[in-house]
Amino acid sequence: MITINNLNFGYNKKKLLFKDLSMQLSAGHIYGLLGKNGAGKSTLLKNLAGLVYAQSGKMDVLGFDPAKRQPALLSQICFIPEEFYLPAVKIDAYVKANAAFYPNFDHTYFANLLAEFDIPAGQKLIDMSYGQKKKLIIAFGLATQAKFVIMDEPTNGLDIPSKAQFRKIMASALTEDRCIIISTHQVRDLDNLIDTVIMLDENSVALKASVEEITNKLCFKRVKEIDDTIIYAEPSLSGYNAVVPNFHDEDSKLDLELLFNAVLTQKNKLKPIFN
Amino acid sequence: MEFRDNKAIYLQIADYVCEHILLSKWKADEKVPSVREMAVELEVNPNTVMRTYELLQNKNIINNKRGIGFFVADEAIANVKDYRKTQFMEEELPVVFRNVYLLNIGFDELQTRYNSFVKENFNS
Amino acid sequence: MNNTFNIQRFGLLLKRQWLEFGKIFLITVGVALGVIITFYTFSLWDVFFAERPSFSQRDLGFREPLFIIFGFLFITVISSSYFAHLGQKPKAIIDLMIPASTFEKFLTGVFFTTILSVASFTLVFYLADLAFVSKVRSSFATVSNVTSYTDARGQVTETVDNAMYFFTKNFPEKFKSLFIMVPFFVTSVFLLGSLYFNRFHYIKTAISVIIFSGVWSFILYNTGRLLFEGKIMIEHDRQNFKPTDAGAELAIFAFFAVLTLIFWTIGYIRLKEKQV
Repeated sequence: MITINNLNFGYNKKKLLFKDLSMQLSAGHIYGLLGKNGAGKSTLLKNLAGLVYAQSGKMDVLGFDPAKRQPALLSQICFIPEEFYLPAVKIDAYVKANAAFYPNFDHTYFANLLAEFDIPAGQKLIDMSYGQKKKLIIAFGLATQAKFVIMDEPTNGLDIPSKAQFRKIMASALTEDRCIIISTHQVRDLDNLIDTVIMLDENSVALKASVEEITNKLCFKRVKEIDDTIIYAEPSLSGYNAVVPNFHDEDSKLDLELLFNAVLTQKNKLKPIFN
Repeated sequence: MEFRDNKAIYLQIADYVCEHILLSKWKADEKVPSVREMAVELEVNPNTVMRTYELLQNKNIINNKRGIGFFVADEAIANVKDYRKTQFMEEELPVVFRNVYLLNIGFDELQTRYNSFVKENFNS
Repeated sequence: MNNTFNIQRFGLLLKRQWLEFGKIFLITVGVALGVIITFYTFSLWDVFFAERPSFSQRDLGFREPLFIIFGFLFITVISSSYFAHLGQKPKAIIDLMIPASTFEKFLTGVFFTTILSVASFTLVFYLADLAFVSKVRSSFATVSNVTSYTDARGQVTETVDNAMYFFTKNFPEKFKSLFIMVPFFVTSVFLLGSLYFNRFHYIKTAISVIIFSGVWSFILYNTGRLLFEGKIMIEHDRQNFKPTDAGAELAIFAFFAVLTLIFWTIGYIRLKEKQV
């Protein structure tokens, strides 16, 4: 559904942020995009949406080149930026002005989403808090029925109940013909929501694997002592939280934070496992 | 539902479904929540729920009627018990045994404890 | 789906942009109306409220400079603010992601800044002028709003209306095409400025225009001197150079039209290449 081939990108030509980055995304998945600050999470998402132009490389999003910014593709993309601006009008006025651009916009679904997010329909955008505005553009974006959903730190600014509502909404928003990619550094918010992890580090994709594949190959568990088999470990109350190769077909729960740190520090040990 | 830290999510969801079947909240031949409904309720990825349902299908606990959805299998309760028993024997019993051994607990003591536990919880 | 231009989508885009830009636009028009009325009131204060009200043609002399200078300010302010928000990331993202083509987005800009702004300024000026001049005409109808001139033989040859409506007096009968072209050109420059700069669009555009025209005149003047000084004879008496020729008008018109097109093209490319 989405293919990136040998993407080279940098905000200035001398210092590239991505070098020969290649990746494929397919429908029916929620991808979690992780990376350190400055690793280029937002930038990769902007590349996918055609908001920035790469130095070289080929991109195919739903059969289009996003850099051309064609309406046929734009109406199939729902992009939720981290920072955004909404005009000072009422919700219905906003929807009336914008919904018509999306041929599949579903007004009933939009009303349901607003209800779920506890946003009164007649409200003025200017009276809304950042979190409420964010919920509004998420609701609007999903109601467009866009095939490709891109979200940059969507849970930033949401309060605790809203985060739960968000997870419920995203769980129901994933359909077989939809591809969702979410960047986050608050992994706990989205822990169980993502089914494939994409980790950016050192100008490229350091890891891209489904949760199933990761837990088939690695085991996350508490150990008392560190030995040679352990790939990465962090001290905890009762010994260590460790990542070990999954020799015995154990089923364990993916610990995203642990995996994240393991990928950053133990690249050499992990690479052979995932190739 | 609160997820625990150390067990794979799809297995915890399987436990959740099994629990409902054992407690007869969902009876044989009844429809279980769809993948989407379950995913929304538990705030997890639908693909994870799908994985759970596939596992439970393999264990003959639920079955898939094409186009309609998933239903509790006829012999579900027996199969759940089977499945849970294997799980208990393989995963939880070794931990208990380890403690029994380390703390020098006699089997007689365990027996009396067990009897009074059953009396208190299940025979009243 | 046509990915370059679709009339229905263009209509939707005009409506959508009006929702955001309309408010600023209406406020600006309101301010313009206020300023125009203030000018008329101040200039005509004595005409109406002096102890012995009197009116002369000179009292309306402020209108031409007001129309030109303030009209220039109005259309340039409007056009230098249209794309200004694209300099701010959060606003730019939402706008660039709207499912309309870059061409449609640019055309919407041209519509608001060139056509709508010129039309509304003309209308506002027309209405204010209509109101005040009508008042003048009705107050001084019998006294002095018409001056007659007599020639040497004592015959009345001409009557001049001293209180003509602005657009009656200045109706551009001769250089029609130029009158239309100049605002197009001016707005195209400032529209480009609003796309080109990320902050302080107006002042930066204005300074760029000043520097550019300065450099340009300097180069023209000096190349002209180098090439032609002492080589060409200008005969004043025979008037081999007539600036009022129809050909000259056409040439100037074409020159501005080409420049406008060039600025629009650069602006369109600039919008296409806008990154956030």
